[in-house]
Amino acid sequence: MPTSPADVLTRRVLPRAVVALSQVGLPSRLGAATRRLAGRQGRVELFFAFDDPCSAVAVIDLVARVARRKVELDLKPVVRRGIADDPAVELKRRHAIVDARRVGRRTDLVLSREEPLTADATAFLAAWAARAPRGPARTGFCVRALRRLWLGSDGPVDPGDYAAIWREQVGGEPPAADGDDGVRRNERLMRRRGPYDTPAAWVHGQWFFAHDRLVQIGDRLDDLGWTVSP
Amino acid sequence: MTPTRLDFFFSFRSPYSYLAAPRAFALPTRFDVAVRFRGVIPMAMRGQSVPRAKGLHTLRDVKREAVRLGMPFGRIHDPIGAGALRCLLVAQHAVDVGREREFVLAAGRGIWAEAVDVAADKGLRAICERAGLSWGDCATALEDPAVRARVDADTAALEELGHWGVPVLVFEHELFWGQDRIEDLEAALREAGLERSPTAAQAT
Repeated sequence: MPTSPADVLTRRVLPRAVVALSQVGLPSRLGAATRRLAGRQGRVELFFAFDDPCSAVAVIDLVARVARRKVELDLKPVVRRGIADDPAVELKRRHAIVDARRVGRRTDLVLSREEPLTADATAFLAAWAARAPRGPARTGFCVRALRRLWLGSDGPVDPGDYAAIWREQVGGEPPAADGDDGVRRNERLMRRRGPYDTPAAWVHGQWFFAHDRLVQIGDRLDDLGWTVSP
Repeated sequence: MTPTRLDFFFSFRSPYSYLAAPRAFALPTRFDVAVRFRGVIPMAMRGQSVPRAKGLHTLRDVKREAVRLGMPFGRIHDPIGAGALRCLLVAQHAVDVGREREFVLAAGRGIWAEAVDVAADKGLRAICERAGLSWGDCATALEDPAVRARVDADTAALEELGHWGVPVLVFEHELFWGQDRIEDLEAALREAGLERSPTAAQAT
């Protein structure tokens, strides 16, 4: 069967071009160097979901992984994500529990939950976290809430438990959960960046499924010059 | 004693399957297991849509992983359609003659690193011969309805396990999905006491 020009383009030329372009590293390295000269930190945007156990593993690990680098971990909670009309969405939610347990075991994180959570059950946490000030307060709240949710509890989610964490990490009473503009903004940004599911880390022009590529995210930061401080 | 069976669900259209294959087939050298190859029809040929964002990310991510694993990747000829199916049929014949490892590795390299068009006889024949298979026997397998039925059965077996993607390795009813979960499978095999002693592994 002869190969048509359209076939050559879609099967051969375009995939090859995508791979080749992904190997162009000079612009991002120059950008990182310029950023450092300007006295700015590196930045990892981590799109995550509270109902996703793999997000829990990724957030907890990455907070530790970037701690000794001049890098800000910008936690961006989302609720709506995934492939539209995905027939395997329920299977994937169940598999995420097995997979997070497996990946967590590598760093001694032990999942306490056996059953998946719905996005609705934890949407209030995303709304709160999106309203927390960016930086240590938001990071502290997200880490403790994810630990409580996935490593320290089972069964229904009680907002009261998380309000206590909010008071300790952020201060004051948690905001009303109905204002979720920040979450929607994060979801739009995530789609613009390219990722379609969580946890997804955007590291200066490249994105990674974060729980799968924790070591590689560190390698990417090393490559950009944001190495671990002694 | 019969070695423990590991089912290896694989698609010729999945670059992650290509990355997994050398390590999956090498497991019997270090563990008391036998790998059973089970080729499945690609998701996109089973009516499951693959969004553009996923396709683009896969290519970029596989390149990063291939570099890390020291595997060639990038000179691609997407085999979706006839190419993927023809490879699946030949792979069944390769299983029958005990050369599935050779064929799967050669086809993966051809598709993902050498831009071989496996939908064309010229391309597929070169890969078959590289894997030590007779082209005449492979051509017969391509036309054999019984061989096609085996491909359909392996595809159905993955769906019966409640899974949707590849590569998947199955060890005693536990599924390990993804080329990056082979290390977790190895940990499970060690926990199950299936790791060979260094002398036995050397002799394999």
